[in-house]
Amino acid sequence: MTAVRETPAPAGDWELLRGAVKGVAKKYSQDRCSAKATAGGRAVVLAVADGHGSAPHFRSDMGARWAVEEFTACAEAFAHEAVRVGADAALWPGLRAEARRLPQAVGHRWQRRALLHDANAPAHGASPARRAAARERFERQGAAGTWDFTAYGSTLIGAVLTRQMLLCWQLGDGDIVVIDDGGVPHTPLSTGPDMGDETDSLCEPEPWRKTRTHWQPITGGPPPAVLLSTDGLSKSFADHQGFLDFATGVRERAAQQGVAAVQKQLEDWLERAARYSGDDTTLVAAFAAEHDGAPEQTAQEGTTPA
Amino acid sequence: MSRTNSVSGSSEAADNFPGGAMASRPVHFIWMLDCSGSMSVNGKIGQLNFAIREAIPEMQQAADANPAASLLVRAISFASGASWHVGEPTPVDSFSWEDVHTYGGTDMGAAFKLVAGALDTPPMPQRALPPVLALASDGQPTDDWRAGLRAIDSTPWGKRAVRVAVAIGDDADKSMLKEFLGNPELEPLQAKNPRQLAAAIRWMSTAVVKDASTPKIEDARPATPVGPPLTKDGEDEIW
Repeated sequence: MTAVRETPAPAGDWELLRGAVKGVAKKYSQDRCSAKATAGGRAVVLAVADGHGSAPHFRSDMGARWAVEEFTACAEAFAHEAVRVGADAALWPGLRAEARRLPQAVGHRWQRRALLHDANAPAHGASPARRAAARERFERQGAAGTWDFTAYGSTLIGAVLTRQMLLCWQLGDGDIVVIDDGGVPHTPLSTGPDMGDETDSLCEPEPWRKTRTHWQPITGGPPPAVLLSTDGLSKSFADHQGFLDFATGVRERAAQQGVAAVQKQLEDWLERAARYSGDDTTLVAAFAAEHDGAPEQTAQEGTTPA
Repeated sequence: MSRTNSVSGSSEAADNFPGGAMASRPVHFIWMLDCSGSMSVNGKIGQLNFAIREAIPEMQQAADANPAASLLVRAISFASGASWHVGEPTPVDSFSWEDVHTYGGTDMGAAFKLVAGALDTPPMPQRALPPVLALASDGQPTDDWRAGLRAIDSTPWGKRAVRVAVAIGDDADKSMLKEFLGNPELEPLQAKNPRQLAAAIRWMSTAVVKDASTPKIEDARPATPVGPPLTKDGEDEIW
């Protein structure tokens, strides 16, 4: 077997962008997000979650926060494994299986946090005796019981990006845009236009069954940009093409002006969007950093990760 | 390349904004008004016209308070058959009211079928907030209203619509109106005098509009907001 000579993994494999604004006339935002480098800078984990916000989902800001935190925790472990596997295609089936299991792991962890919270502070109120009974039931049944998570409902979109692969997961509405080398935007997990504001949610039974997954091996270098956003962004545009133009425009500006310059303007852009959608609006993105020097060594088939 | 944001009117060069034109989402509000002969008894039709006309400024204020939605209003009248009284989706800012008049039976099913045609996609865009169907009636339907209701329910926006109904007087078919609402927890509003009718119409024009115009997650059929307390002890029951 041929050993892989990995290019040293600088922290700057990707540059990250993150922005979030509150919806017009809302008291607080129910969106949460995260964008972080991991595995020594050789992988990126992105996540956005959109708490539903309406009265029945009055704790959805917490649900969104837990969604991002639990996804990030699971995805970081996955990213380390993905970096370890690298370009060794023989190990990809196992990695894919792990990718398929990830939504369930995230869902269980999210449910556990919601259950713990609800047992201690029941969403619909309870006497001390009922609270104690709920806690006892939780200890006995855990996530296997029949529980009502409505108060915590949230969507979840996440991605892991390494030099060899892009993994995306999506439950509910929102958007993932992957921009290729030619500057063309792709929406790998899009299911077409939404009607109104209906969405799948973590608060439904077995939400992992509704989670869509996208696996994309990378052969010619990482995509120039991967953008994740809550639906408040895409719904602010008069049509879908306008949203895609936004994604490619952000990438163009990041390339021309630098990510730091885009970061400074991002909040203004999102605030403008929120005025039209009326919704919380959140965007995270990773841009492939350009490095000077020799091109990266590509891994060969059948190699063992270093 | 990015385009000028035509809605805000600001140029790309001025603000460096990427992306296409932005626009708030439309909310289609459709009145369905009973114009049967019985509505001419005790001035009901006149009071209904008055209440709708008087509610327009408040409807406009409710729309102004939510710039993330564009409120478009239409109206159907039904009696012997049904027809568009205001057929063009009209921005609420330029909406004015011309009186409807009584002329026959209570063909509510025909009105439902007419509105179902408007709720199909197209003509209704997919990019929209849930429409509002506001029904006012004082009697028993005289045609196959269930077929009409099925037609509404079979459209993508019909099953997502916010539905409100007011029963005018004691002869209104409240169980039928309740079925129209499609939610066993909801009751139609009851108006037994002009004051109650005005309050019901005002609530439909404001609270319901506000609710429908607010982006939020709808788990199944949108919940119609809880109505105003309309019945007050000691009030005259004219109808």
